[in-house]
Amino acid sequence: MRRGAEGAVRSMPELPELNPVVHGRLRLALLSLLAGVEQAEFTWLRAKTEATDGNLGAQLLKLEEAGYVAVEKKFVLRKPQTLYRITEAGRQALTEYVQALKQLLGPAIEP
Amino acid sequence: MQDHTTEQELKDRLSLIENMIAEGRRDTESWGWVFVLWGVDYYFALAWSAWNHSAWAWPITILVAVVITVVVASSKAGNHPRTTMGRAIGCIWIALGISMFLLFLALGLSGRLTDQHLFFAVIAAILGMANGASALILRWKIQLACAAAWWVAAVATCFGTDAQSMIVILAAIFLCQIVFGVYGVIADAQGRRGRGPVHA
Repeated sequence: MRRGAEGAVRSMPELPELNPVVHGRLRLALLSLLAGVEQAEFTWLRAKTEATDGNLGAQLLKLEEAGYVAVEKKFVLRKPQTLYRITEAGRQALTEYVQALKQLLGPAIEP
Repeated sequence: MQDHTTEQELKDRLSLIENMIAEGRRDTESWGWVFVLWGVDYYFALAWSAWNHSAWAWPITILVAVVITVVVASSKAGNHPRTTMGRAIGCIWIALGISMFLLFLALGLSGRLTDQHLFFAVIAAILGMANGASALILRWKIQLACAAAWWVAAVATCFGTDAQSMIVILAAIFLCQIVFGVYGVIADAQGRRGRGPVHA
């Protein structure tokens, strides 16, 4: 709360909160990568993020548990393939995160 | 200082989002090798057909090329994500392969594969259509030039002698499959992308 020149109390505009699931750097990178494609394989995500198998798997699991990512496991020419795609909820969460970011940054990102 | 650091971190997050989305959209398959494979396949089919006029020359060679393409593409599938555009382009070429196989099988077995000019014109027109559709979707001028070359070949092969029509089709295959395919392979190897991705 701040007091203006006439002593009136003005309340600060409420700052948006950043979704903690999306805010993690690797999780954010994964959601953003998946937002640009229909689906992607685990190995491709690993190559793009340069994350270790363990860390990547853990972050993808968190996103899956949050309902932001869907997984499909199948065999192609007898080789296992794990495919990921962003869900509508994940796309919505990413959009809201971007909007919150822009709101927080405000004039700092205006041209 | 803390506010500035936080602001910088937020800006980095925004940058990360933009870069990663662009990465996903930019990443495409490398299909130059498919053009070379099918160019060699067409040459093989032409040679076999000219050697003993077998009705099975084209259906078998196309089937072999389809199998090789599917096997190799499937093994590389994990290296690239699936995109709407990639799927659209792939469908064009799948439809082409099915059309060519069924058409040449039926024409060969029915004994109606007798007019070389007509046969070459159909091949060239179909390939012009597929390359043209792909080039227009991708806005890729080099592939559009290949499509134009196929269309010219389709028209040109209708005229002249049998030998002349053979020369036209051999030249079109060389330019639009072998040269174009090698260009695609080299461009992919050097990590360069033209105006659009390389798709068969």
